[in-house]
Amino acid sequence: MIRAIMAGTAVGALCAVLGVFVVQRGLSFIGDGLAHAAFGGIALGLLLGASVSHATWVALPFTVLVSLGISFVLRRGRMRGDSATGVFFAVSFALGVLFLGLRPLSAPPVNVESVLFGSILAVGPQDLLVMGAVCVLVGLAMAITWTRLAYATFDPELAKLSGVPVERLDDMLLALTAVVIVVAVKTVGIALVSSFIVIPAATARMLGRSLHRVTLYAVLLGVGGAALGLLLSYHLNVASGATIILVMGAFFALGLVVKRR
Amino acid sequence: MERVLVADDVTVRLGGKLILDGISFWIPKGEFVCLCGPNGAGKSTFLKTVLGIIEPTSGAISILGKPAGVAQRAVGYVPQRKTFDQDFPATALELIVANLRGKWPIRVHDAERERARAVLQRVGGEALIDKPLAGLSGGETQRVFLARALVTDPALIILDEPTAGVDVRGRQEFLDILWEISASDELAAILVTHNPAAIARCAERVVYIEKKLIAWGLPDELLGKSSLSAISYARTTRTPGGVIAPDED
Repeated sequence: MIRAIMAGTAVGALCAVLGVFVVQRGLSFIGDGLAHAAFGGIALGLLLGASVSHATWVALPFTVLVSLGISFVLRRGRMRGDSATGVFFAVSFALGVLFLGLRPLSAPPVNVESVLFGSILAVGPQDLLVMGAVCVLVGLAMAITWTRLAYATFDPELAKLSGVPVERLDDMLLALTAVVIVVAVKTVGIALVSSFIVIPAATARMLGRSLHRVTLYAVLLGVGGAALGLLLSYHLNVASGATIILVMGAFFALGLVVKRR
Repeated sequence: MERVLVADDVTVRLGGKLILDGISFWIPKGEFVCLCGPNGAGKSTFLKTVLGIIEPTSGAISILGKPAGVAQRAVGYVPQRKTFDQDFPATALELIVANLRGKWPIRVHDAERERARAVLQRVGGEALIDKPLAGLSGGETQRVFLARALVTDPALIILDEPTAGVDVRGRQEFLDILWEISASDELAAILVTHNPAAIARCAERVVYIEKKLIAWGLPDELLGKSSLSAISYARTTRTPGGVIAPDED
């Protein structure tokens, strides 16, 4: 249970801090898109003979490549973010289905449910090590670039005129989001991971009057939602991933009430 | 008279299409220029070239003697109202300080706050300093963006249709501020506008382009040229004072 709480809060914090920028840029759908791209990557790993756990190492570069593809299409400016994400989402998922179908009949069966919904209670020490490394990587990258990323999110053109390397930051944001999603799929699954990105950030957006406060609130909501959801699911003996999302959804509803007042 | 901006035979092709064709003119220190032309004439492309966002295919733009791409700190820019995120959780103070630092502030120092307050006072927006951008009217928002552009003490300010989408009162107030800027002997400006009142009130010189430079001169000089009928309204309502003639070559 302690490992599950550590994993859940790490994923909650990572997704929230990236989610602030993703949501503010109107790219909320990208979490879903990259999660489904991760499915394509995991399926490719399985086709190559890896276990579900080791297939993550194939999904990682696959999903990062998809994120850079979306970033490239967005930069060309001829397609809206949701359309670009939708195309990559569908193609990656279709590839995943194709890869699974191409596996030999003798291959061991895959627990699709664990890929779709995660298995946070089955997180092992090695998974925690990987998450710790990703936490350090993403935390450092975001701490170093936060002020420039914020400026580029406000207005890319003005930021560029002030010398901010907007394109490189765009690529970095989507690539880090891809990395975090692939790591998070193990714990919360493909179907629910985008909620970790969108809900805390959207709730914090209603409460904060400056971007750094929004970021702080989002992290607190992500970590708090994950911890409270896990504890509730443990005591009520219900699905952990779904309970976490429902707790985050309740925070969002409370945020709406607070905002109205 | 020192030249702040020199456009020397600037040609821009984008995707093989000719957008600007051999544009040449200059702006001396302190001159307020209105850049006019029909839709698709290349006005926005010209601005982007001045800002260093687009490289000319041939020719060059220099600002204070340096290539446009490396003189960005000498240029202030006020975008059209529609081009920035109205929903971003930020105050006027943060926006102005972001331009000073080149990055978004987490904490604002006292000296930066004082500088932001002074520049907001210059545009009649001192009371807006701690207001969220999302709650400002169109006219107030453009004042804040004007203050943002002025805070780095630029030699040239570029205003890209700043009153588009602003209500009548806000537009009039903004024009009053621009008129005060046009009276300055220090700050040169390029105002892209379709608004006759803005040209009449502020223009010391008018540049009219349709891919090529069609006309460049005093508003009064350009009257009577049939191709410039779109700007002929400047004749009757020009506010007196401050016209600066270009250097003789």
